[in-house]
Amino acid sequence: MKTADNRQATLQLKDALKELGDLKAALDEHAIVAITDPQGKIRYANDKFCAISKYSREELIGRDHRIINSSHHPKEFIRNLWATIGQGKVWHGEIKNRAKDGSFYWVDTTIVPFLDGEGRPRQYVAIRADITERKRAEDEVRNLNAALEQRVVERTAQLESANRELEAFSYTVSHDLRAPLRAIDGFSEAVIEDFGPLLPDEGKRYLRTIRAGAQRMGALVDDLLTFSRLSRQPVQKSQVDMGQLVRDALEELGDAQKNRRIDLRVGDLLPCLGDASLLKLVWINLLSNAVKFTGKREVAIIEIGCSAGRHATHYYVRDNGIGFDMRHAEKLFGVFQRLHRMEDYEGTGVGLAIVDRIVQRHGGRGWAEAVEGQGATFHFTVEGGAAS
Amino acid sequence: MNDEAAARVLLVEDNPQDLELTLRALRRAGLGADVHVARDGVEALDFVLGPGGGSGAAPARRLQLILLDLKLPKCDGLEVISRLKSDPRTRAIPIVVLTSSREASDVARSYQLGANSYVVKPVEYDRFSNAVAQAGLYWLSVNQPPGLE
Repeated sequence: MKTADNRQATLQLKDALKELGDLKAALDEHAIVAITDPQGKIRYANDKFCAISKYSREELIGRDHRIINSSHHPKEFIRNLWATIGQGKVWHGEIKNRAKDGSFYWVDTTIVPFLDGEGRPRQYVAIRADITERKRAEDEVRNLNAALEQRVVERTAQLESANRELEAFSYTVSHDLRAPLRAIDGFSEAVIEDFGPLLPDEGKRYLRTIRAGAQRMGALVDDLLTFSRLSRQPVQKSQVDMGQLVRDALEELGDAQKNRRIDLRVGDLLPCLGDASLLKLVWINLLSNAVKFTGKREVAIIEIGCSAGRHATHYYVRDNGIGFDMRHAEKLFGVFQRLHRMEDYEGTGVGLAIVDRIVQRHGGRGWAEAVEGQGATFHFTVEGGAAS
Repeated sequence: MNDEAAARVLLVEDNPQDLELTLRALRRAGLGADVHVARDGVEALDFVLGPGGGSGAAPARRLQLILLDLKLPKCDGLEVISRLKSDPRTRAIPIVVLTSSREASDVARSYQLGANSYVVKPVEYDRFSNAVAQAGLYWLSVNQPPGLE
C-alpha cells in the first residue's frame, strides 16, 4: 500500500512539476523575469531580461538591480518600492532602466514577494514588460502638446499686441482725425457767418462745398471706426426680441422718413440669440438703405419678414426702390462699395460691410437680390434655428 | 475772459482751432466774458487749486463750469477729473468732458472719476456750437450750484 501511495505521490509531483515548468516556459516566452534574494541579489534572469538589458546571464547573476539603475527615479520612489515588498506586499509600477550599452528602456513591473513560513520575504519575483515604445510615444505626445501650447501662447500674445495697436490706432483716428475736420467745417461756417455779406454767391457756395466735404469725411471716419470696432468688441449674446429692435431702429431713423409716404409692412419676427446692440445696427443699416433707395418712389413699400430654419433664423428687408444690377451683388458687402452716384444717394459705403461683419459674428451670412429699377431684398441669417 | 477771479467757466483745450471754435460758440451764447482758458492739464489744476496744488485755503473761485478736453499735454483730462473730484474743495464744480473721443473706455472712466457730463465734439460746426452753448447755458443758468446766494 505504502509503495503504491508513494508512486501515486511521485506521479502527482511529476505532473505538478511539469505543469510548473510549462507555466514558467510560457511566462518566459512573454515576460522579462528575474528572481532576487531578500538582499536584492539577482538569482535568476530569463533570456528576455538578458536581451533587453544587454547583459549576459553570468554578468547579472549575483549582482543587485543597481546594475541596471538609470538614476531616473528619485530615491523616494526606490525606497517606497523596497518598503512595499519588504512588508510582503506586491509592488507595481513603471521603471526606467539602463542597459549595458548605456541605452535606456522602460518596463512595466510587478514584483511579487515569496514568503517563508514566518511571513518574511524569501525571494522576490519580478515580472516585467517592455513599454519603451509606449513611453516614447507618450513623451512625443507630451512634447507636441507642450510645443502646441507654447505656440498658442505666442500667437495669443501676438494677437493681443496687434489688437492693442489697433485700438491705439483707432483711438488716434477718432481723436486726431476729427479735430482738423471740425476746424475746416467750423471756420468755413465762421466765414459765412461773419463775412457772408462780402462774399459773392459763388464764394458762399464754395464754402458750403468745403463744409459738405469735411462733414462727409467726418461720417466716413465715424463709420470706419464703428466698422473696426466690430471685430474687437465681444459679442454678448442673449435672447433678442427682433420685433422690438426693428421698432427701435425705425424710431432712430425717424428723420429720414420725414415727408415721405412709406408703406411699412412688418411681419411677426422670430426672436434670436444674439447681441442686441449689434443686431440693432444691422436693422438700422438695412432699413436706412431701404428708406434711402425708395426715395424717388411715390409710395415706398418696405417689407420686413423672417422665416425659421433648422440651424439659423432668416430675416429680410424688401423694398420697391431702385434696386441694382445683380452683376454687382457680390461687391455690395465690401467696405466703401457704392453702386450709386453720390449726387443721387448719399452714404459712406460702409453700411452693408458693417451688416456683413455683424452677421458673420453671429454665425450667419448676408446676401442680396434685386431687379434694377424695381427693388431689392436684403437677407441675413443668425445662427441657431429650430434645431437648437 | 480776463478777470481771473470772476471767471465762471474754465475751458481746458490744447487744440488752438477747437479752442477758437469753442470760444466763438460760448461768445455767441452770451457767455464769452466769463471764460478762462487753460491749455493743458497742469495749467487747469493750477488755476482751480492754485499753483502747486494749493494745499491751503479753499480756492476763491466763482467757477461754475469746467469744459474739459481729455487728450491734453502734461496731465491729461482724466487726471484732471480725478484730482478735482477727489478734492472736497473742488468736488462740486461741474465738469463737462468735451472731447473727440467716443471710445467707450473714455466715457466710462470719465464718469467713474466723477465727470458730470460727457459730450463728443461733433464735426459739424452747427452741432458742435449747439452742444457747447447748451452745456454752458444749462450749467450757468439752469443749474443751481451749492453755496451761492
